[in-house]
Amino acid sequence: MVRSFEYVVPGSLDEALETMKEHAPHLKPLAGGTDLLVELKNNLNGPQVVMDLSGLPELRGVEETSAGLRIGAMVTHTEIEKDPLIAEHVPAMMAAAATIGGVQTRNMGTIGGNLVTAVPSLDSGPVLLALDAQVTVAAAGGKRQLPLTEFFVGPRQTALAPDELLVDILIPTVMLGRRASFRKFGLRKGQALALVNAAASVAVEGGRIAEARIALGAVSPTVIRAMSAERVVTGKQINDADALREAAEVAVTEAQPIDDFRASAAYRRELIAVGTFRVLEEALAQTTAA
Amino acid sequence: MHQVEATVNGATRRAEVSPETTLLSTLRDSWGLTGSKLGCDVGDCGACTVLVDGLSVNSCLLLAVQVNGREVVTIEGLGGFEYLHRLQTAFERLSSFQCGFCAPGMIISAKALLDENPAPTEPEIREALAGNLCRCTGYTKVIDAITEICRDRAVAVEAPA
Ligand SMILES: Cc1cc2nc3c(=O)[nH]c(=O)nc-3n(C[C@H](O)[C@H](O)[C@H](O)COP(=O)(O)OP(=O)(O)OC[C@H]3O[C@@H](n4cnc5c(N)ncnc54)[C@H](O)[C@@H]3O)c2cc1C
Repeated sequence: MVRSFEYVVPGSLDEALETMKEHAPHLKPLAGGTDLLVELKNNLNGPQVVMDLSGLPELRGVEETSAGLRIGAMVTHTEIEKDPLIAEHVPAMMAAAATIGGVQTRNMGTIGGNLVTAVPSLDSGPVLLALDAQVTVAAAGGKRQLPLTEFFVGPRQTALAPDELLVDILIPTVMLGRRASFRKFGLRKGQALALVNAAASVAVEGGRIAEARIALGAVSPTVIRAMSAERVVTGKQINDADALREAAEVAVTEAQPIDDFRASAAYRRELIAVGTFRVLEEALAQTTAA
Repeated sequence: MHQVEATVNGATRRAEVSPETTLLSTLRDSWGLTGSKLGCDVGDCGACTVLVDGLSVNSCLLLAVQVNGREVVTIEGLGGFEYLHRLQTAFERLSSFQCGFCAPGMIISAKALLDENPAPTEPEIREALAGNLCRCTGYTKVIDAITEICRDRAVAVEAPA
């Protein structure tokens, strides 16, 4: 049984932020509810106010701006799977969205809710990190923008203040069209949380890897960049499989996987190596194909 | 308390609910629509799947207040004693119901799929049902029923009227 709360549906971002200012930290925003409803059912000390974000046009839509591709926090995983701008500029995001839950979860769950829940296994994290995503957060006092790397603070912890809303996610212009790849390893094919997930993006110049990003999920308190592994491949020929293998080994040393009921740390280390190798290989294959 | 008014299976329904009431309990307890089942209550099993504005969702993870002004379709909206939906007929013909608990959710997920993609491949059918668990593990017959409908449909589309 869920403890009762007050339910409010603001009609604009300003109204929502004022409501948050008044009630934080006793208020929880409600996006798709696929995490929040479960939490409310499990938690006897729930919020006093639940604020439905469905009436805020400022949190919706995908659009190209002068700074890059802007994705509203309330965009659902299903919308990401079908969005033409995402298909054109950041198809790896579609691949990641398609692995989240079942259809019912993707129809309700939003990218914003995924990031704010900030579980280490979140499936929208690695691709966004590999594409240098920024997030915009807002409070009644104003907006600020920060890199996603700074948004994730710990397991289920973000840099959001209690009175702040996540407004949108920005993929910077230089990253649009960049070759990127995503892989998720779970215990079953459908509707399973990641044991390990991984993403890579690569820029290629003159047959060499000019820039690489590798991001890993479910292997550390937050989703992480494997920067030492990135350095291993940077400057290497695109067909240098030994470099990819070395990067895969190095990536394992950058993570701190744990034993839990889903998998052992040792198995996760194997998956990190395999995942890192494959996402790099797949991202590079796209580059040579273009 | 909040007033909720929604179009449910084509008819306007109203209920007075407290904010924490889920759509599922409102369907079952206020409106007597007990076809949607309470399974896991946390979005894993899909037994409570309904359509909201045409999209399949887990009604255990939706507050009743969230569907105010929206359109809900439950298993009762597909067919009943007088008339069965072709998905229901196919499930019956192929014995796809075992204990039957997951079937309403399975059928709603299948309807959502067929509304969008009338001729899905078997992998597409399996993917569309990934959020519906069958504790009898009777998946094969469920897939068979949906596949058969699609085959009939493909034949119907090919044959000149
Ligand atoms: C059956 C099932 C399977 C799942 N499978 C996966 C999976 O495979 N991979 C995966 O990554 N996740 C999975 N999830 C988790 C969940 O569906 C996702 O994290 C989803 O994206 C959450 O989004 P939401 O809109 O439902 O968030 P909500 O539940 O509405 O909100 C989540 C949290 O974020 C806060 N919040 C939401 N939006 C904002 C905002 N704009 N600003 C500030 N705070 C905000 C809420 O207050 C709440 O604390 C699964 C969940 C279920 C139930």
